[in-house]
Amino acid sequence: MVHDVFTFLVGGKAGEGVKKAGSVAAHIFSSMGRQVFQMDDYMSLIRGGHNFSVVSTSSSWISSQYMKADLVVNFDKRSCDTHTHDVAEGGIVIFNSDEQENVDGIGIPLSSEVEKYPMKKLMYGVGAVAILSSTIGLSKDQMNQNIKNQYPRGIEDNIKFAGTIYDMVKDGCQNKYRLEKGEKKRPIITGNDAISLGAIAGGLDAYFGYPMTPASSILHFLAKQAVNFGLAVVHAESELAVINMAIGAAFTGAKSMVGTSGGGFALMTEGMSLAGITETPILCVLSMRPGPATGVPTYTEQADLNFALNAGHGDYLRIIASPGTVEEAYHLTAEMLDLVWKFQTPGILLTEKHLSESSMTTNLYIDEAKWAEPNIHSGGNYKRYKDTNDGISPMLFPPSKEIIKWNSYEHDEIGITTESANMIEKMHNKRNKKLGKLIEHLKTQKTVNIIRGEHPTNIFTYGSTYMSVLEALKYGKLNPTTVQPIYLSPLPVWELEEFKNQDNIVIEQSITGQFASLLKEKAGLNIRSVIKRYDGRPFDPIELSIKIKEELE
Amino acid sequence: MENLKTNAEITWCPGCGNFGIFNALRNAIPKLEAKGISREDIVITAGIGCHAKIFDYLNISGFYGLHGRNSSNAEGMKIANPNLKVLTFSGDGNGLGEGLAHTIFAAKRNQDITMILHNNGVYALTTGQFSPLTDQGWKGPSTPGGSFEVPFNAISLLIEVGATFVARGYAGDIKHLTETMVKAIEHEGFSFIEVLQPAMPYHKWEEYKNKVEFLDKEPMSKEEAINVARNSHKFTLGVFFQASRKAYHKGLYGDHNPITKRLSKDTRLDKIRKILESK
Repeated sequence: MVHDVFTFLVGGKAGEGVKKAGSVAAHIFSSMGRQVFQMDDYMSLIRGGHNFSVVSTSSSWISSQYMKADLVVNFDKRSCDTHTHDVAEGGIVIFNSDEQENVDGIGIPLSSEVEKYPMKKLMYGVGAVAILSSTIGLSKDQMNQNIKNQYPRGIEDNIKFAGTIYDMVKDGCQNKYRLEKGEKKRPIITGNDAISLGAIAGGLDAYFGYPMTPASSILHFLAKQAVNFGLAVVHAESELAVINMAIGAAFTGAKSMVGTSGGGFALMTEGMSLAGITETPILCVLSMRPGPATGVPTYTEQADLNFALNAGHGDYLRIIASPGTVEEAYHLTAEMLDLVWKFQTPGILLTEKHLSESSMTTNLYIDEAKWAEPNIHSGGNYKRYKDTNDGISPMLFPPSKEIIKWNSYEHDEIGITTESANMIEKMHNKRNKKLGKLIEHLKTQKTVNIIRGEHPTNIFTYGSTYMSVLEALKYGKLNPTTVQPIYLSPLPVWELEEFKNQDNIVIEQSITGQFASLLKEKAGLNIRSVIKRYDGRPFDPIELSIKIKEELE
Repeated sequence: MENLKTNAEITWCPGCGNFGIFNALRNAIPKLEAKGISREDIVITAGIGCHAKIFDYLNISGFYGLHGRNSSNAEGMKIANPNLKVLTFSGDGNGLGEGLAHTIFAAKRNQDITMILHNNGVYALTTGQFSPLTDQGWKGPSTPGGSFEVPFNAISLLIEVGATFVARGYAGDIKHLTETMVKAIEHEGFSFIEVLQPAMPYHKWEEYKNKVEFLDKEPMSKEEAINVARNSHKFTLGVFFQASRKAYHKGLYGDHNPITKRLSKDTRLDKIRKILESK
């Protein structure tokens, strides 16, 4: 075990309950008061292939999976072959002895055991839970309670099967790991759960989406909760429809959000530009996966940063922010919803598969979420695009006695189309003034997370890579200063001034180092080197700590 | 006719069929008010093209969208606040070219909105290219040898994909068009009016005047309506199809209204707390 971290890895085919077993393991750990990070690695298919779930747990905060597992459970030969190098020193491998022999580990005849029950292969996951329960010294009663809570179908068969498997874990592996209890049970949620809940807490009225991994689970979560929270949740015919419906909804005063990944976002860019000129408040969740084009749908990358920064034709104000942790995702989504309504412009919550779909224990102060509230016009003589000192025109929504016109053409203050040179210039100036006001506002807010260290080198990172970096530093007992800008547009350069001429390294998941380029260009940072990973997998804290250490020396 | 005009300079060509549509709508709004539909509840969207200029001229609130996306804007408005009466203006290129998928899906969903399709049979504002409704043989700047694609039949297409009120009107018969607009806007569900309107540089009123005629009677079933739409000539006016089917927003959330019945922050936080307890 790595200090007090314990890691459980379970692998098998899609449809065998791999992810569920990981999630049950996470709940077992959290019910012991421990903290958890779960990462699911799955292929873009529905049955077969190879999926695995890694759950790392610690009695203190943990922000990454470890790819060296103390307990590896493989349902098939492909899993064994895949995870040969993923076993920690002194770790145990438990394999399916009906599928293969001569593996270094403990063989359990999983296939022949599940054949005795009608649910057959669906029970593999329960077997993994039994193996885990046995190795960490849970009593059978404790195990059975977990199974009852987590697997509502076929409880009797599951308990009988689990009991058999539990007893088969022998050779000194029963009770091998005694995990210390933690301080309290905490909820386990994914990044997309946090984004959805943050949006609801921030005032969301309507969500529009088109299925695209890794953003789909926002659509699913909100569709399931639509009645509970009185939301309109719509699966439209394309991302073009999605963004344009959301803009129509915002015109009526509905706090609207959309979600997608790179390819869908490409279609939405005309709508982003539309929101720019019509000054429509709209929040888009852009969850990155490896591109270009279809790329690798179910894996992670950070290569759409430049695309987000420049999305949509024309000059207009884009607010872009990226959460570093699941907890931050909750607060930042509500905050971004508030900001797009304050400044009447499109915003992008930039995240990636690794945050969207990984789960972790959280300690959320839900009441602290911001609540979106537009500045409303009062009295008569309404002008939608009234030129004010800060460029922000008060809003009004139908039904109203006043005429409210939002226009995709350049327009006058009332919202009527114009081609007048003076008016074109005036409206550009009006919209451009909002940037100054936004920066003034952001200067009063937390826009960057800085953890001060002793080492003279600073590490810059953003998005979910922040979690990988923090875990790597903890593992390697390294202490550089870590800087994670939450806002990427406008980049909070006022916070970064002090680092300009210091020794800085960047860690990100893009081959061209898009984040490093942004820091150089906007903040004028001196950057010595960039640690990159772009194979679709998140960083492993042990490997990353070695790389950081090399850079620090 | 009420004024209902803004101060915007009208830039349609003299004699354009769009004036007929504009005037019919200005007639229809007071008639709708007499029936209890307040003009404050009416909102409009438009795409891009000559049709869309009506947005600037009509003194009604709304959203001037992108080419082809106006029906999506309209759907979003209706979904967010179903108390609104939503009208969307489209051209034949805008609604059946760039925006075809959105038009079809709005009809499929039976969104409770009204689409008025200004059919001038040409891309007028971009200088006369052939549109999805242009007859074969049209020599425009993009088809100098004559267009050879077979045009859509907008009426049978919209009936087929799920619109529940489908009619054809004519910009030269303002009385009939006004009546048709009132019926379409009153209809609950997706209503569609194809309006024949000559664009002066490309067509003349004479090409329409002697050809327009009215349906003898309204078809009784969807099948009959599609047949009549297919087999009658393209200058046939009248209501081709009417049916009653649950509107999209009713299916989505019944009698709810996401804006007027919005849950307070505290209620939301209590519910979020419960969700987190179960996680």
